[in-house]
Amino acid sequence: MAHTHRPESDIALRVKAIESLLVEKGIVDPATLDTIIDAYEHRIGPHNGARIVAKAWVDADYKQRLLADGTSAIAELDLTGFSSEHMVVVENTPQVHNLIVCTLCSCYPWAILGLPPTWYKSFAYRSRAVIEPRKVLQEFGLDIPDDVEIRVWDSNADLRYLVLPERPAGTAGLSEAALADLVTRNAMIGTAQVPPPEPPSTLAA
Amino acid sequence: MNGPHDMGGMHGMGPIPIEPDEPVFHAEWEAKVFAMSFATFCNFFPVDETRHASERMPPGDYLSSAYYERWLYALERLITEHNLVTPAEIEQRIAELAPGE
Amino acid sequence: MAIETSNECMSVSQAKALLKHGVECRGVSDDPPQFQVGDVVRAKVMHPITYTRLPRYVRGKIGTITKVHGVYIFPDTMGQRLGTKPQYVYSVRFAAQELWGPDAASKDVLHIDLFDDHLEAT
Repeated sequence: MAHTHRPESDIALRVKAIESLLVEKGIVDPATLDTIIDAYEHRIGPHNGARIVAKAWVDADYKQRLLADGTSAIAELDLTGFSSEHMVVVENTPQVHNLIVCTLCSCYPWAILGLPPTWYKSFAYRSRAVIEPRKVLQEFGLDIPDDVEIRVWDSNADLRYLVLPERPAGTAGLSEAALADLVTRNAMIGTAQVPPPEPPSTLAA
Repeated sequence: MNGPHDMGGMHGMGPIPIEPDEPVFHAEWEAKVFAMSFATFCNFFPVDETRHASERMPPGDYLSSAYYERWLYALERLITEHNLVTPAEIEQRIAELAPGE
Repeated sequence: MAIETSNECMSVSQAKALLKHGVECRGVSDDPPQFQVGDVVRAKVMHPITYTRLPRYVRGKIGTITKVHGVYIFPDTMGQRLGTKPQYVYSVRFAAQELWGPDAASKDVLHIDLFDDHLEAT
């Protein structure tokens, strides 16, 4: 991440000054700002995407609709929203590993995964994901074998992307809700695989 | 424009800064910059105009600024270019709000 | 036709609607798409000093149309408030080696969404 060249307190003061002017001039409403912050801090997040993935894992028809037309299949779950207006869902398989990036800014499916993490917005990720995706994935602990195709998706236009990760082994008996709990944000961007459920501690050797 | 924002394939940016369990916003000012920008989307500025404004940040500044500092730059640039607020008003308000002066 | 905005303060209910429904970025065009799935295309070589969503690393490179997404408002003109200029968007697949040379993995590919104005026939 870039280092800030101004002290944080200077930036915070500048923001406070701009906020007070915009409120005073009737350009922004403080209640609206609170609504926006609350939405992204408390309501919108990767749990939305995890619901989509878990449903696709247990419902083959849904999965087919999701991969054919992500936007309408996601709308079935009422998970539409800003910066997720038009969704494409790409499936990881034993032969293909998908990775999402936005090199020009940091476009990301906000309504499905929340606001992006710092690493997704970093210059390192934006510059390197397209030219050396395998090295980037190694930094996340993922070694993709040479015979697996890596597909990088640069989401530079209005389409937003979601990775449908592979369902881990040992999850045959799990409910849709339990499956959703296993799905991580990074797995839906393509920088992680979904780990199998932890074995019950009583079975530990 | 051939700006620093167009960074696909650039070298030298270092390792990916992976931060476990990070908060949505790291400081209140980040949340405020984000929310103020969001509140201007469509009503005042098309989203692409905001993206373009952050790309117009001078390259050296762009590459040494954090994500929400670039958002702040874009917001400030657009509100001043569209004469909603003047640069002088911003500086004056900063002076008024500055602690212990 | 320059883009005008309402310049009205966003209310709480407007913010909730924007959060829930997003922005309308689809457009309408009477023209058929210039390209079809399977067409081989070149990303144009161009260096506008203004806003563009065509990154440098694909300019001049040869790719294949893999999907026609439909008609969308053109960000390159919207970013300057010049107009909506609706046109087709395509998912274009480039081989990693086409973009980065022989050091890239031979199996790997990159997909990017490009507009009619970004592409030309080969």
